[in-house]
Amino acid sequence: MRKLSITFLILGICLAFPLASHARPVAALEALEILRKGFAETDDFTAEITQEKQLSIMKRVMKTQGIVRFKKPDLFMMEIKPPYASRLLLRDNIIEQSAGDGKGPKNRIILPPEQSLKQWFDKLAAPVTKLPEGVSLKADKTASVYTLQITPIKRGQVRDLLISFHNDGTIRRIVINEQNGDRSTLSFRKFKRNTGLTERDMLL
Amino acid sequence: MHIFKLIMILVLTALLASCATQRAPVLNFKPDAVIETLSAGISMSMQTAEHGMAGNGYLVYRRPDQVHMILLSPFGTTLFQAYILGSKITLVYPAQGVAYAGQIDQLPDTAGTQGWRLMRWVMDADPVKTTVADGTFERASPAVGRETITVQNGLITEKSAPGGNQVYYGDYAVVGGVPLAALIEMRNSKDERIRLKIQEPEVNLPLDNAVMTPRLEGLRILPLSELEQK
Repeated sequence: MRKLSITFLILGICLAFPLASHARPVAALEALEILRKGFAETDDFTAEITQEKQLSIMKRVMKTQGIVRFKKPDLFMMEIKPPYASRLLLRDNIIEQSAGDGKGPKNRIILPPEQSLKQWFDKLAAPVTKLPEGVSLKADKTASVYTLQITPIKRGQVRDLLISFHNDGTIRRIVINEQNGDRSTLSFRKFKRNTGLTERDMLL
Repeated sequence: MHIFKLIMILVLTALLASCATQRAPVLNFKPDAVIETLSAGISMSMQTAEHGMAGNGYLVYRRPDQVHMILLSPFGTTLFQAYILGSKITLVYPAQGVAYAGQIDQLPDTAGTQGWRLMRWVMDADPVKTTVADGTFERASPAVGRETITVQNGLITEKSAPGGNQVYYGDYAVVGGVPLAALIEMRNSKDERIRLKIQEPEVNLPLDNAVMTPRLEGLRILPLSELEQK
């Protein structure tokens, strides 16, 4: 009986291992170019998101759910559902934000022109031929999913950023690790691209 | 037709009146129940003459005068943290790599910072031990000297302090046997407003001291007076 159990255990391990997917390192430039190409071929997208914030000093995790919408050349919207309802609209370099039902005061932040959304997406029009400066990049691939790790060289608030995405550039998950040990995870579901979003879909 | 219009006006008047004077509910709680600790998610919005701000975050409170508030960016990173420990305050801005620290009474008179001076007063909203369930009273306050409170069903719904500061409490519910106002709105004489909506509260659970200790590794520490240039 004991021999039979050991045989089953070994057989189980042998069967399990070929099925397991291994992360294999890939060139960061290759991963970056796949991500860029995915965005370059996208005029708009919508996705459901789940955001989880884990503070290093607390056990509780704040979990919020909502949707994101993007429309070229310069519109991005994020809507978080209750109980933490909030809405954010980025129009090129102007962020507008409101909490609750949207009837309260709106926060308006104007970003420097070099940080405008259109500038970023103009940059994505051309293939990536060299790695960006100021950050170190590592990438791996598990089955059809790439994971790109971006680590700022200069110490700042963000320790590193992990972006997981499919072969076609569809983003699955973004993890932001902060220097203080806090972690924020954004998971994307029902990612739909080129659905024909209009300006009316992007109202705050 | 005139009767129809009259009925409509009466209905609208009744609806508007009920919005304006939403009463505190009758809650079943122990008369001596107080909040010793509170840990909760928050949605906050702030409106001053110069700017507005809105966001989600966390609030941790330990009686009588310890507060740790965290505001998050839309993508979940930490935008801002405030620690109040007795008379000391530390305001942390991780993205800029700076923290401002000092005594609460050293806070400059810039918009948006004055609310912190009132935090202890705002958090002090225990049920009132009085035989009269409703009314407006004046009483001593450890935080501001004297205050005027409005009470409904034994719960504080409004307080005002010298200098024109007011705070309103609403959306009361009993959490862990203690009445808790899930909606707090502060207003000052300049009509600057801070609205705090408390979500998923945990009341009177033990808190680790580390939660109330500012984490300042790698940050530049500046005096509160530097906030004026910010």
